[in-house]
Amino acid sequence: MKTAYIVKGYRTAVGKAPKGVFRFKRPDDLAAETIEHMMKQLPDFDRSRIDDVMVGNAMPEAEQGLNMGRLVSLMGLKSEEVPGVTVNRYCASGIETIAMASAKIQSGMADCIIAGGAESMSYIPMGGYKPVPNYETAKAGNESYYWGMGLTAEAVAEKYKISSKDQNEFAYHSHQKAIKAQKENRFQDQIVPIEVEDIFVDSKGKRQSKTYTVDKDQGPRADTSEQVLNKLRPVFAEGGSVTAGNSSQMSDGAAFVMVMSEEMVKELNLEPVARLVSYATVGVEPRIMGIGPVKAIPKALDQAGLKLNDIELIELNEAFASQSLAVARELDINQDILNVNGGAIALGHPLGCTGAKLSVQIFDEMKKRQLKNKYAMVTMCVGTGQGAAGIYEVF
Amino acid sequence: MKRRINKVAVIGSGIMGSGIACHFANIGVEVLLLDIVPRELTEAEKKQGKTLEDTSVRNRIVNEALQASLKSNPSPIYHKDFAKRIETGNLEDDIAKVKDADWIIEVVVERLDIKKQVFENLEKHRTPGTLISSNTSGIPIKFMNEGRSDDFKKHFCGTHFFNPPRYLKLLEIIPGPDTSEEVLDFLNEYGEKFLGKTTVVAKDTPAFIGNRIGIFSIMSLFHMVKDMDLTIEEVDKLTGPVIGRPKSATFRTVDVVGLDTLVHVANGLYDNVPDDERHELFKLPDFIEHMMEKKWLGSKTGQGFYKKVKHEDGSSEIKSLDLDSLEYRERKSAKFDSLEKTKSIDIVADRFPVLIEGKDKAGEFYRKNFAALFAYVQNRIPEITDALYKIDDAMKAGFGWQHGPFQIWDAIGLEKGIQLMKDEGFEVADWVQSLSESKDKAFYQVKSGKTYFYDSDKKSHQKIPGQDAFIILDNIRESHEVFSNKDLVAEDLGDGILNIEFRSKMNSIGGDVLNGINAAMDIAEKDYEGVVISNTGDNFSVGANIGMIFMFAVEQEYEELNGAIKYFQDTMMRMRYSSIPTVAAPHQMALGGGCELSMHADKIVAHAETYIGLVEFGVGVIPGGGGSKEMTRRAAMTFQKDDVELNRLRENFLTIGMAKVAKSAHEAYDLNILERGKDIVVVSRDRQLAIAKEQAKLMAKNGYTQPVKTNDIKVLGRQALGAFLVGTDQMKAGKYISEHDQKIANKLAYVMSGGDLSEANYVSEQYLLDLEREAFLSLCGERKTLERLQHMIKKGKPLRN
Repeated sequence: MKTAYIVKGYRTAVGKAPKGVFRFKRPDDLAAETIEHMMKQLPDFDRSRIDDVMVGNAMPEAEQGLNMGRLVSLMGLKSEEVPGVTVNRYCASGIETIAMASAKIQSGMADCIIAGGAESMSYIPMGGYKPVPNYETAKAGNESYYWGMGLTAEAVAEKYKISSKDQNEFAYHSHQKAIKAQKENRFQDQIVPIEVEDIFVDSKGKRQSKTYTVDKDQGPRADTSEQVLNKLRPVFAEGGSVTAGNSSQMSDGAAFVMVMSEEMVKELNLEPVARLVSYATVGVEPRIMGIGPVKAIPKALDQAGLKLNDIELIELNEAFASQSLAVARELDINQDILNVNGGAIALGHPLGCTGAKLSVQIFDEMKKRQLKNKYAMVTMCVGTGQGAAGIYEVF
Repeated sequence: MKRRINKVAVIGSGIMGSGIACHFANIGVEVLLLDIVPRELTEAEKKQGKTLEDTSVRNRIVNEALQASLKSNPSPIYHKDFAKRIETGNLEDDIAKVKDADWIIEVVVERLDIKKQVFENLEKHRTPGTLISSNTSGIPIKFMNEGRSDDFKKHFCGTHFFNPPRYLKLLEIIPGPDTSEEVLDFLNEYGEKFLGKTTVVAKDTPAFIGNRIGIFSIMSLFHMVKDMDLTIEEVDKLTGPVIGRPKSATFRTVDVVGLDTLVHVANGLYDNVPDDERHELFKLPDFIEHMMEKKWLGSKTGQGFYKKVKHEDGSSEIKSLDLDSLEYRERKSAKFDSLEKTKSIDIVADRFPVLIEGKDKAGEFYRKNFAALFAYVQNRIPEITDALYKIDDAMKAGFGWQHGPFQIWDAIGLEKGIQLMKDEGFEVADWVQSLSESKDKAFYQVKSGKTYFYDSDKKSHQKIPGQDAFIILDNIRESHEVFSNKDLVAEDLGDGILNIEFRSKMNSIGGDVLNGINAAMDIAEKDYEGVVISNTGDNFSVGANIGMIFMFAVEQEYEELNGAIKYFQDTMMRMRYSSIPTVAAPHQMALGGGCELSMHADKIVAHAETYIGLVEFGVGVIPGGGGSKEMTRRAAMTFQKDDVELNRLRENFLTIGMAKVAKSAHEAYDLNILERGKDIVVVSRDRQLAIAKEQAKLMAKNGYTQPVKTNDIKVLGRQALGAFLVGTDQMKAGKYISEHDQKIANKLAYVMSGGDLSEANYVSEQYLLDLEREAFLSLCGERKTLERLQHMIKKGKPLRN
């Protein structure tokens, strides 16, 4: 089996949806511009040697439909020779593409693939424009296959007895960590500055345009506190505990890595950034989908022949504070290595992009902490009762 | 040139100013609302680094006042989008904009010096020839225009709205010494036709008409309560719905309005009517002085005549003020034998003769109270108005009385009323004496459907002006009856139009109403050109007679129940599929069956204050009179190529599933209960029936053909069923709805999906009606539905189970 290395990785900043900084930036543009930026770092690289562009996306329709993967390859590489594919495993899509790219290279089916994900929750509503559950399936007692994610977060909170107070405390710390990281400029090396042109009609009826550059995550709030969070009302269940404040934010963003065979890395004389050691996906009861990582993490560790304490840093996607806490408690995860720069509650969760975004973040953080040749993990719960976990060796 | 009002400027954004601004926005007028510039920055503004030069600071007072008004309940605005018709500004930067206003209304603080200064300022920018008025409730109009130009004076008068302007119908128009006839005539008609008000032109006397009589009435009760050793509960019982006055009666009303407001007007009257024969009555009794000192002003300070006390266990209780000890005590129930006797008398006017004969304290109360009232109002003519009907109009429109003083007097009988006065030591006014010596012996007469009043000057009955624009059912019910049964009357409105009027209890729709509709439709199809369905009840209809449904259901007489529901559906369908146009004219509540009936008419001519909705979930069933069918059909009618049809159907599903009720007729468009381009909204309740009749006539004139039944309603089958099933399951899992709610919702889902069909199909209305009926019947076999029905029948409130 060949070895596949990640040689580059970038992400956009994450904007709030549906009224944030990327509200006027299409997801295909976000993706293409991220890839363009990456290619600028490899000025002499012959683009026709790229075998594929794999774009993770959780709601592949409308602006991000029509096989956005192929459109992104055309737009981002300015070449017609590289194909493109759209991959959907909901919130794991962005890391699923990295795993698929790595596996293809390892089996000799490709030498170089751009993999990642992009999502605009400003443009596309959660669930898409027309969710149509299968009546026969639902009627058989399986309505929860189609439940909204917030309700599953309530089910997790109830089953694992995660109090409202604990969820809000967790959310507060997510913001605090993210604010600290921003102050320390811990993200700036990984973020591709994106220029946005907003063309609009002003209050006097005149067509106007303004241009601005986005290079900072929009979500973290320095002004929030546990008291404020405790006052928010539950939004998914009467008398529930899951609020807008202790759920991940709706977001827009894109993130991509370049995966390359060992041979090509040597030929081009590139520095490997990381290597995907193992990647596992699992199925769990859909009504408590948030618990997915509890099953996925041990599976990925088993594949890699590692133990949890071999892992230096973990990015556990904060879909909801309730499920993050349930996962952390069930697996007894060391809080000091978990989401060290804050998570999706503060930084946002652009669904299909998230897996790639968290990967890019963790490579950078391992490097900044000089944890060379050590292991890091990216894991998340996935809609309709799934979990995913990937372990990287970071160089 | 014809005077038009396209834009008004309202100066002053307090509770009245904002309310008036909203009501003009309600009727589609562009509004400029101005108030003063604040003198200081707030703490928040300082923190944001703002200065007194920032527009957001300069307009803060007006913007905050308008926002507070828009958020108040009940809402001052028909539809939240209408607030966009209001532009706000301040009196320094934006005053020049009043040049574009066709009418400027001043609603600033009630101080003559300030008002005069405002007018002086406004005159610099006002366009000559445009209207300008003051919303004063007490300052004489003649003092306000001193120093103004002739053009100003000619176009200036008082326009006194009552609070809240959207809901209270009275608009007093008070001419100043120089106001032109053209201006008065215009405002009189505009107020009625465009603003939906009862306009009353009043003389420039203290407190005008409404407050003069209204405050007299309240003050006399303030004195009587102690003189007769009554409790406040007793007075509220005696002066409430039993005599056709609001539920809040006397003391509760004062709590809502605010004692200080009342005292302000009362003191003004005491100072300004020294020659009033009841002058001393306007002096505040000791207990009022005490309450003012203690700031027991009513709702605004948390306590007044009543006080809501919260207990430690979270429960609360309303206590009443004992006027002797001036301490709050437990509420006492008020019972009177003579009131019991009127329980079986549905028509309020028929109760008055019975009440004054009472041998108990209540009888004594009414004799004294009416004697004093009659004496007072007879003496106000010609002081405050020349025409007695204006006093009645003002009390009905401004204070929610069902009958004005002279109408009550007529109900009791002129001679009997005179006797009551004499017994209490009051003198009879000369003009009343003249009336009693004539052959007529009544203040009012009805001739050929028109109302005439006794003109004290001409000593004869004169036609009340302006009523030709109205059709008054009360005046023609007997003379123009074509058909009637216990619960329904059909009247000939002339010009080939028949009116169908319910008169069942709360205008609920039961067997007799349905029989009546069918009988009237038979007659109309034979001999008329069109039909209007309207009535004069408090509400258009509260829905189907659920007592009957409950009875069949509890006896498990499903065969009969099925027949009854089928009959209901068939009758609704007949409204649509008949050879003549049908126009429904709902007002106030039009719920359940009342809504279904309206939706099946060829056209709805709704009064703006129509609260319409399909509320059947509250009693554990789905709309069974065609409502579920209709909402399915209406969703399907909007489908366009490549639409996400499911989402459109979902909105209509939620309208029923959440038992949404529109808070105005305009909101009913959003619920797809009213349809744009077909149904219309009228602001004037008095003109509503005449307009409905005109619409029916017009449809007939344009060549009305009975619609053809079709099979083209697109239903979505399993596509919709799956989505609804998951939706209701989530609502249940999120504890937003009960298991029974979910069951009802899934039944509705089945109907609105057209049943379990593997793909979209095209069906007929009858197909959907059959599904609807089947679902309705199956729910009537559910214990929890029976509990809901029973609860509604007994308690008048929905049960959540």
